[in-house]
Amino acid sequence: MPLVRAMTGGFTPPWPSKTPGIFVLLLGVLIVVALAELAIGPVNLSLQEIIAGISLSADSQGSIIVSYIRAPRLALGLVVGTALALSGCALQGVLRNPLADPGLIGVSTGASVGALSAIVFKDVMLGMLPPESHVYVLPIAAFAGAGVVTGFVFSVSRRGGATSIATLILAGVAVNAIALAMIGSLIYISDDQQLRDMTFWMMGSLGAANWTLVTVSFAIVAVAAFFLFRMGRELDLFQLGERAAYHSGLDTERTKRKVAVLCALAVGGVTAAAGPIGFIGLMAPHMARLIVGPRHALVLPAAALMGTILLLMADLGVRNAVPPAEPPIGLATSMIGGPFFLWLLLTRMKRDGLNA
Amino acid sequence: MYPLRRLSVFMVCLVVGAAAAHADTRPLRVVSAGGDLTEIVYALGAGDRLVGVDSTSRHPGETQKKAQIGYVRRVSAEGVLSLKPDLVLGANDLGPPPAVEQLRATGVRVAIAPEGDSPDGVLDKILFVGRHLGLDDEARRLAGEIREEMTRAIETAAKSSRGRKVIFVLSVGDSGVLVGGENTAADAIIRLAGGENAARGFEGYKPMSRESILQAQPEVVLMMKNRQGGHRSTDRILDRPEFSMTPAVASGSLVTMDGLLLLGFGPRTPKAVAELSSAINR
Amino acid sequence: MLEVRDLTVRFPSGFVAVHGANVKVRPGEILALCGPNGAGKSTVLSVLAGDRAPSLGVAELDGRPLGAFDARGLARRRVVLEQSPSLSAPYTVERLAGLSIGVEVPPGLMHDIVHRSLEDVGLANIKDKRADLLSGGERHRAHLARILAQLAAAGEVEGKYLLLDEPTASLDIEHQISVLKIARRAADNGVGVLIVLHDLNLAAAFAHQVGLMNRGRMVSTGRPPDVFSKECLSEVYRTPIEVESDGRGRIRIAPLY
Repeated sequence: MPLVRAMTGGFTPPWPSKTPGIFVLLLGVLIVVALAELAIGPVNLSLQEIIAGISLSADSQGSIIVSYIRAPRLALGLVVGTALALSGCALQGVLRNPLADPGLIGVSTGASVGALSAIVFKDVMLGMLPPESHVYVLPIAAFAGAGVVTGFVFSVSRRGGATSIATLILAGVAVNAIALAMIGSLIYISDDQQLRDMTFWMMGSLGAANWTLVTVSFAIVAVAAFFLFRMGRELDLFQLGERAAYHSGLDTERTKRKVAVLCALAVGGVTAAAGPIGFIGLMAPHMARLIVGPRHALVLPAAALMGTILLLMADLGVRNAVPPAEPPIGLATSMIGGPFFLWLLLTRMKRDGLNA
Repeated sequence: MYPLRRLSVFMVCLVVGAAAAHADTRPLRVVSAGGDLTEIVYALGAGDRLVGVDSTSRHPGETQKKAQIGYVRRVSAEGVLSLKPDLVLGANDLGPPPAVEQLRATGVRVAIAPEGDSPDGVLDKILFVGRHLGLDDEARRLAGEIREEMTRAIETAAKSSRGRKVIFVLSVGDSGVLVGGENTAADAIIRLAGGENAARGFEGYKPMSRESILQAQPEVVLMMKNRQGGHRSTDRILDRPEFSMTPAVASGSLVTMDGLLLLGFGPRTPKAVAELSSAINR
Repeated sequence: MLEVRDLTVRFPSGFVAVHGANVKVRPGEILALCGPNGAGKSTVLSVLAGDRAPSLGVAELDGRPLGAFDARGLARRRVVLEQSPSLSAPYTVERLAGLSIGVEVPPGLMHDIVHRSLEDVGLANIKDKRADLLSGGERHRAHLARILAQLAAAGEVEGKYLLLDEPTASLDIEHQISVLKIARRAADNGVGVLIVLHDLNLAAAFAHQVGLMNRGRMVSTGRPPDVFSKECLSEVYRTPIEVESDGRGRIRIAPLY
């Protein structure tokens, strides 16, 4: 315990005795949902087939479904959920605004513009590159798009230390409008084949998961997550406002740059792999704060667990809702996330007035 | 008139040769993703072998009773697998690519149809479906019939052609209309029916500006009947100045046809040519 | 010594907030900055805190320009209480008080420091309450405890600086006095204290030195009885002000209305 305290930094009041229990519980739920993701699907599989699939001794069609379709899907879900939740958590912390979400403030849309440009200009861009690098082009383009938007939103929201809800949402509206216009022009100039790739991708889905894709996005997200997980104290200090955080010894500009780059990396990486998936980055940190309190050293891991749980549950939902067809996963996350967002907005406005 | 002879004897031999290899394996659980392919399966009398169809498969009416796998470009690998198919017949645009890859990886036979927005294409697709269902003889017979019908329909259309300029309107939005340019199924069927595509100078389905539409002076507006059979979107067309001032609307030449019949290039294509021809050459 | 020499601050809008001011905060001394609203007091404090670079002139800590310190280095040498400190997370009073302590301080020591600071400001009894739900005065004191803890955790307090921007504005008389007593005790231990104050009587009673500012300029600096003359105050505040002296160096200031 002392070691953990020293690592998480800052003054640590004695742990609420229930905190370790909550993490065990969250982890338990995640394991159950993950097993469900492997076991439950449109195709009914026997326990032996599932075990054979997991142990990579796939021989029957059933076990191939587990090892080739469901397992990479689960892995991608873990990566995407973690990335979105951590980004949402860091953005909310740095902007001191509970409505910050990679989707709402336009980071995901920026990543989309990047990724779609890569799809449309694929032939031009890829001609110059060796074939083995192609799998990285989409994530890099998405990262660039997300980076531009994050930088813009951060510079707009800089005034006065804290961001107002109004500024943030207006910036998001503006960014989304610009990005949608760009997506519109990309759609206009694309040919039929590109259009197919784009429409599938725009809907958001874990369905395209294969081990190459999982490896690439895992590598990107692992880097971002490693640094984001260690930002607990910095995010805590930001809750004092930028000036007081600076007085307390924090290089606030550096922290903001770090969060902007890491979020762009994480969101870009997973958006390239699974398309834009909304609301996970908004909901997961909130639920995490409700159960572990406001300390970011605890909120970050709890949010990552919540994010993966929510995303895998949404995926389970869309896979099993109307088989053999499969609605886009964004539909499920928006159906929970939309009302949640509205509730949050209304309660915040009631509490703080419109300009809060 | 149309160079049907391009479908050479050589081609038929090739198809027959390939079919022989599959003759012993007659798939009994077939998923068809593509409205035209589903029609062909039924036309070959193998409709009862279908266990699932995509959302573009709306003809014949029995397709409504089959399991629905969603839009052809957005199928889910596991969803399709849950139907335990031994063959997936996919239109050229079956996707997304990862789902097709996943299906193949689990050992399911996935057959992608040749592209075919042309009379030859229809015949290719019939032979393709027949080959994969192990119904080569039936397919050859059907292809022969369709070829004759097609030739007749195209000849009749050519005879009665008055060189009318036809514009195909895919959809009407608040900001503009989406029309069928060159290299589209709409362009192909209009020309087969003895018309002339008024939307020139661009490929694919694109928004066309008001002035270009006025300048094109379409004499017939062609649209798809919407699923409920209503005509709401045709009413909206009449209100728009770029259409109300064209010869098409002035003479009341507004044609609506079933989308799959018109653009599917399935076995009903001769019928589509005949219907469209009589509608635009009135 | 923490000082500015010939300080001029021009805002991006072109407004000149401070005009050639000289301020020296010496270890072991309380310097109170007084003056009407908009005189430039808080701007001087923000330059001394390292938030803002001088447009002209010099800002130094022990002869080294403030701009040469990084955020952590400065945090070990000076602590700052903002005019309206904020908190946007529901931390407990205890956690808030420990928030500004650096990571290198061992947990046990941290705990002691936080408790002493909370006792100093009289909040030890409500340490488990949520800080964001406290009254304005209590919240202000909780933030004061936070910077006192930051000061104490940085080791030897001598040669450190405590910058307080209107710390008494939201407090009742009892707590106004207790905050200034805390500042006095810090100064007695070798801390240099700068307080921006509106209450001239508190300034006169507790500060060793006062600086009177008006419209961006330093009108005069020195011991309170020398600076707070009837004529000078009446002119600066554009209000008739009476100054009574008890003859032993203590003065009482009263506006006439």
